[in-house]
Amino acid sequence: MKISPYRIQKAIGRFCFGLYCSFSYIFLLSPILVVIGTSLNGPTENVEASFKFPPDSLSLYWYTQIPEGQLEALLLSFVLATVASLFGCLLGVPAALGLVRSNVPGKALISAIFRAPLQIPAIVTGIAFLQLFYWIGDMTGFYWQGSLLGLALGHIFIATPYVVGTVTAILQRFDTRLEEAAVIHGATPRRAFFRVTLPVIMPGVYAGALYAFMVSFSDVPVAIFLSAPGFVTYPVEIFFALENDFEPSLMASATLVIIICLGLLLLVQKVIGLDALLKVGGSRGVG
Amino acid sequence: MWVRWWILLIPPLLVGFTLVAASQFVFLRASFFEDLGLGRVGDELILGNYIQFLTDGFYLKILWVTVKTSALAALATLILGFPVAYLIARMRSSWAMILLAGIVISTFITIVIKVYGLIVIFSADGLFNQFMLGIGLFDKPFSVFGNETGVVIGLMHFTLGFGVLLLYSIIQTIPSSLESAAQIHGASRWRVYYRVIFPLSLPGVTAMLLMVFNMCMGAFTSAALLGGGRVFTLPVMIQRIVMMDIKYSMGATIAAVLLVSVIVINILSIYLLRRLRAAHLVMV
Repeated sequence: MKISPYRIQKAIGRFCFGLYCSFSYIFLLSPILVVIGTSLNGPTENVEASFKFPPDSLSLYWYTQIPEGQLEALLLSFVLATVASLFGCLLGVPAALGLVRSNVPGKALISAIFRAPLQIPAIVTGIAFLQLFYWIGDMTGFYWQGSLLGLALGHIFIATPYVVGTVTAILQRFDTRLEEAAVIHGATPRRAFFRVTLPVIMPGVYAGALYAFMVSFSDVPVAIFLSAPGFVTYPVEIFFALENDFEPSLMASATLVIIICLGLLLLVQKVIGLDALLKVGGSRGVG
Repeated sequence: MWVRWWILLIPPLLVGFTLVAASQFVFLRASFFEDLGLGRVGDELILGNYIQFLTDGFYLKILWVTVKTSALAALATLILGFPVAYLIARMRSSWAMILLAGIVISTFITIVIKVYGLIVIFSADGLFNQFMLGIGLFDKPFSVFGNETGVVIGLMHFTLGFGVLLLYSIIQTIPSSLESAAQIHGASRWRVYYRVIFPLSLPGVTAMLLMVFNMCMGAFTSAALLGGGRVFTLPVMIQRIVMMDIKYSMGATIAAVLLVSVIVINILSIYLLRRLRAAHLVMV
């Protein structure tokens, strides 16, 4: 069979395009793979050698060496992200329902208020909340920074807009005739809401909860101002560890976090599917 | 319908408005006081901090570095992200979902962990330098720490995933039949890119560039870690000046400048996106 120059040219073009695209993927994913790989190094004479990638020998040694402080920070981050996600939903779902369903005047302004935390750079949110807590502390004697309350308020603030966004996206596409049909068939409005509307918007709630969890779980710029010594979230803990004690055990705890994130993502993908997650997502990166 | 939906708005609006208004008011007010050192501030409202910011070459240089690195990162995000987004949008097989999943995973891992990976990759005897020295492209190890290249790479790790997802939704709105039509009429592949895809995606791409630029302007973590205490952007400077120099007012002033510039750019991009949506050019 004779191969035409046109086909060769096309094949080369495709190859170059594929190569170019895989470069983007290598750029994005290699740091994550390297962290996982490096964490599997065995114990070595000098610390430097333990950062080798690919590792010489496979071992879970560094997983047994994770400092207590990092595990405590991880626990705090987990609790905090759960709280932020929960309150994000408690505030965000009614907000989205009210925004889409009601005809109050000034909806654009209300929507802008709900979205404001997305417009404000996280570092500005951090310093603003720190100043706010100083101000409250000076008046009442209770300083909220360095407490679960303070951190939670900051994270609920930055996480809620994601829930509002995802639930709004689903509600706008919801056909209200479904609800009307339920009522015509004798359901009370309350029953129609809980049996028809709520199941339909649940994917939006799950996606929003996931985004809210992730935003809180990976936040540095807000928590860095609101943490206190001995009361630090995981990302802030390892942010500072980079300067002070850079140890291979960091790679081990980081790998645990990667596994947690992947697990959550997988869970949400199983429940609502990846395309649904993207469709409703204000899929803005976190961190 | 049968429910007064607006009642649902009251609790979240109260919480949201209180938090936004109180935090912004307190910090903006703080930016008008004089720092007396050790965290104490004067009790007169002054403009001194803003005047200092606008006249001191030190702060203006930081502003310039922030704008420069953000612009470079936004451009690089476009250059690296567009082909990937195009590939996924035009792919018909189930591979598209897998490729999308790769992007989503990368956006969901916190940037601090990714920086750890970068440290290992770019260390003196790491993969990158071994490869580059091996094929003879570099004659000495290249470091990404404490220079602007590193900061741009860090910012891109923050924005590339998001950028690809955004571009993906933009490209999806361009019917692939337009490309086929151009090809049937004899246009080469390059000509199709240049005369069909590029002009049709231009408005969406402009909005995307603005959004990514904005994310970079406010990005703290990656800039701080890769700047390594030698490259300062506005967010990095805010944290340093508040936590190390304990100058709350000056920190608030820089934060206010950052906030205003980011909001101006945001309004611009929202305005642009709204016009595009009206013209059915994007569905973001």
